[in-house]
Amino acid sequence: MSEATTQAVGAQAGHLYQPYLVTVSEIIDETPDTRTLRLKFQDPEVAQSFDFKAGQFGEYSMFGWGESTFCIASPPTRKGYIECSFKASGKVTSALREANVGDTIGFRGPYGNYFPIDEWKGKNILFVAGGIGLAPVRCVIWNVLDRRDEFGDVTIVYGARSVGDLVYKRELEEWAARDDVNLVTTVDPGGETPEWTGKVGFVTPTVEEAAPSAENAVAVICGPPIVIKLTLPALTNMGFSDDAIYTTLENRMKCGVGKCGRCNVGSVYVCKDGPVFTAAAMKALPAEF
Amino acid sequence: MSANAFISNEQLAGLVAAVVASGTRVIAPVTADDGTATYSPINSLAEATLNGALPNPSLKAHFLPPTETLMSWRQHGSDIEIGSPPDSFAPQLVLGARPCDAAAMDIVDSVMNWDYKDELWNARRDATTVISLACPGIDDSCFCTAVGLGPDSSRGADVLLVAVDDGYLAEFATERGAAFLADNAQFFSAAADTAVAQADESRAAARSAVEANLNVDTKRIEQWVGDHFDDEFWLTLGPRCNGCGACAFVCPTCHCFDIADEQSGVGTGVRRRSWDTCQSNVFTVHASGHNPRGDQNARYRQRINHKFYIYPSKFGDALCTGCGRCIRACPAGQDLVEILQTIDGMAANEQEGVA
Repeated sequence: MSEATTQAVGAQAGHLYQPYLVTVSEIIDETPDTRTLRLKFQDPEVAQSFDFKAGQFGEYSMFGWGESTFCIASPPTRKGYIECSFKASGKVTSALREANVGDTIGFRGPYGNYFPIDEWKGKNILFVAGGIGLAPVRCVIWNVLDRRDEFGDVTIVYGARSVGDLVYKRELEEWAARDDVNLVTTVDPGGETPEWTGKVGFVTPTVEEAAPSAENAVAVICGPPIVIKLTLPALTNMGFSDDAIYTTLENRMKCGVGKCGRCNVGSVYVCKDGPVFTAAAMKALPAEF
Repeated sequence: MSANAFISNEQLAGLVAAVVASGTRVIAPVTADDGTATYSPINSLAEATLNGALPNPSLKAHFLPPTETLMSWRQHGSDIEIGSPPDSFAPQLVLGARPCDAAAMDIVDSVMNWDYKDELWNARRDATTVISLACPGIDDSCFCTAVGLGPDSSRGADVLLVAVDDGYLAEFATERGAAFLADNAQFFSAAADTAVAQADESRAAARSAVEANLNVDTKRIEQWVGDHFDDEFWLTLGPRCNGCGACAFVCPTCHCFDIADEQSGVGTGVRRRSWDTCQSNVFTVHASGHNPRGDQNARYRQRINHKFYIYPSKFGDALCTGCGRCIRACPAGQDLVEILQTIDGMAANEQEGVA
């Protein structure tokens, strides 16, 4: 198992499958097909007490359409709301895309384990993300930046197919402007625009080029399977040990609490033993994800 | 285990009548005109056939219904009002549960409580007293003894009955069972030595009959399945499976479910959970279209993995009670007894260094 720890069973809205009611307070269109919702808990007590750790996920529901699983994309250091980012690709996500500011949706969670950020104090951190894979990583990035003094160098390598597919654009600008963050953005060849000032190329070679030292460092990586598959060996070549590389798996889930039986990879339940795994833990799993 | 108590057929009828009269629902195997049986509510013992065909679906349908409401919702403008499911159920008594079905309740308990508690499952369990009957119907597909149970296992039951001449011997297996026998002591008498001897003999005979069907080492199977995820053996199972999921739906231990919303009017509806099956091609498919279990070989491997490696590695036993329903129900003749025999053989060869 990864060093990441399974979260103890926390508070519930009511019975196990009953969601908290949350209000859509803000909608941000990240790309033509990806949207971020900012959600506020309707019960003031829950709004006050709700807590989670970076890397945990939840079940978001549009009443009448069903539930969908996403990470919590906002950091635990920002209180009073949570955010989720999703691509409208199925029944529930298409319905969630229709939610307006002021509408009520459901949220169950937080579920699963988390990135062991407290163990990273004093270390340099390399974040690698592709496409919408930045959503779970963004939660960790802001968590780290909100506690900036506790960590060493922060390097972020983020790539997408095209400029239009980059998510959290306003935050990319914010990170680029900071002198305590080294941000490298890239788009796939052909995905650039005339105004594009970032790099052109795939994520893996961009990481190799950025080449932050693996000494006293951890890497956090999330993205499409191809990005993870190609970047893991590159990180190994750069000197990152499998115990120092963290990723998060996004298997299909329904219950989120270890009952419904669909997210397992080998004997591991992604919803309970994950979604955060070290590369070492991932390599011990059968290749079924 | 208690010293044996005896209950005659007439007294059992009286017990059922008394329980029904007290307002407790009694569920027992009921045989239809076509000979098939179901676990159904009865008003008198005469309606039940305790030694008839194996009921279908298994007893799990009374604890994890094929579909049930998790919550309801009603929209008022931008607000949503949530309706919760019941947090308790009226008491009920199951009479004549097959030992393989009673054991399944105890096996699924682990999943429903390994940290998050599934209140609906637990509330139905709490409301139910289970009286099982040492198996009256062993056939070629039974293999309960191979998975650590037996035709007279009391696991998951509060009271176990064993048929003898003119009635049954009863032994309690839980405190709830002991209390039930004490509360209804007027229907029971001390068992005669001849009845005890008869019960011992029939229990031993039943065990031998099942043992003849399948005798494997489940620890060795667990090890082999865990170590051979990429074995070519799995490629032989998919072609025979059409993914219908009948095996999962008749299985007393299969508990996987789907959660989906159902609109029941404008601005109102329910969220349901319904039985699901890992044999379905959409069970694990991602929104992107990627499917970690992209073919039937992988999906059938998952079935065997979950039952004989994943669950055992977490909870110690097999996620299987050897009831044989999956074998009888499979339209393609997939035979779990054969599969376990084959795996056990490969595991044995490996242990001996032959493979």
